[in-house]
Amino acid sequence: MSEFKVGVLSCSGEECLGGTISRLATRKVLEELKMVETVTLCLPLYLAGGNEERNFAKVFPTISVDGCDKLCAKRSTEKYSGKINGFIDISKIIGAENALNTKIVRNKDLTDEHFQMVDQVAGEIVKMIGSINPDAYSGKAFHGCGCGSD
Amino acid sequence: MDKKVKVVPCSGIGKVYGLMAREAVLKTVIELCPEKSETVCLAYIVTGDKEVREKIDGFNCITVDGCPKMCASKNVTIAGGVVIEEIKVLDTVKEHKGKKFGSPTMLDADGEVVISEIAGKIAKKINEMSIGT
Repeated sequence: MSEFKVGVLSCSGEECLGGTISRLATRKVLEELKMVETVTLCLPLYLAGGNEERNFAKVFPTISVDGCDKLCAKRSTEKYSGKINGFIDISKIIGAENALNTKIVRNKDLTDEHFQMVDQVAGEIVKMIGSINPDAYSGKAFHGCGCGSD
Repeated sequence: MDKKVKVVPCSGIGKVYGLMAREAVLKTVIELCPEKSETVCLAYIVTGDKEVREKIDGFNCITVDGCPKMCASKNVTIAGGVVIEEIKVLDTVKEHKGKKFGSPTMLDADGEVVISEIAGKIAKKINEMSIGT
């Protein structure tokens, strides 16, 4: 079986632009990246869902994409699911001032400049996916059962 | 004490309904009721950090969910928020059969119409609450 899947988890934070960019960049990678199949999960399902959701990072090598330096997606994944293979802090790419902008958060308010930021972050996600050891791809690193044990 | 109503969407990333929840809430807190409401990042709530619990615990909250898993409502409740209204995007979507709302990435024109309707419902609830206090 050859299932090359990588998990990409976005914070999708609602309070600032960084969250919007994390969501859009993650969606862009999910929709456009062809070399490796990517999958995602709604982050709040760690608590609202079941074991299947909480096993996400155990099943898939996972990259978190956070809009600010609180790193909620990274920390929640590590707390509830498992070790991640890489993380992106968008504020380090687009600058904290842009990431923490609370006025422009809605998709309809984004300008070409913001979509360039999305492209830039998506590029970093792809780069990070490329740096994951193929041996970690789905099915190879997962040695546990589906009941949550290692 | 901060009396703003916390309005929290699921922002689900896999389906258009998650984006509709997100955009309806942002329209409410940024455009319709900025003085009476605010949002709190759901991902931050999921961390369980003390700082975010203090923002939610005991406060009136409206949750907006895009699917029956009700992630926003469940996580806000776990954090101690008082969920005074659970809004389900699908309840409004049902009234717009046959329309295309867009994708989980971007809304189409019909999607914008529906999120305006949902935002109107959220704003109505917020305004009713402020009359009652």
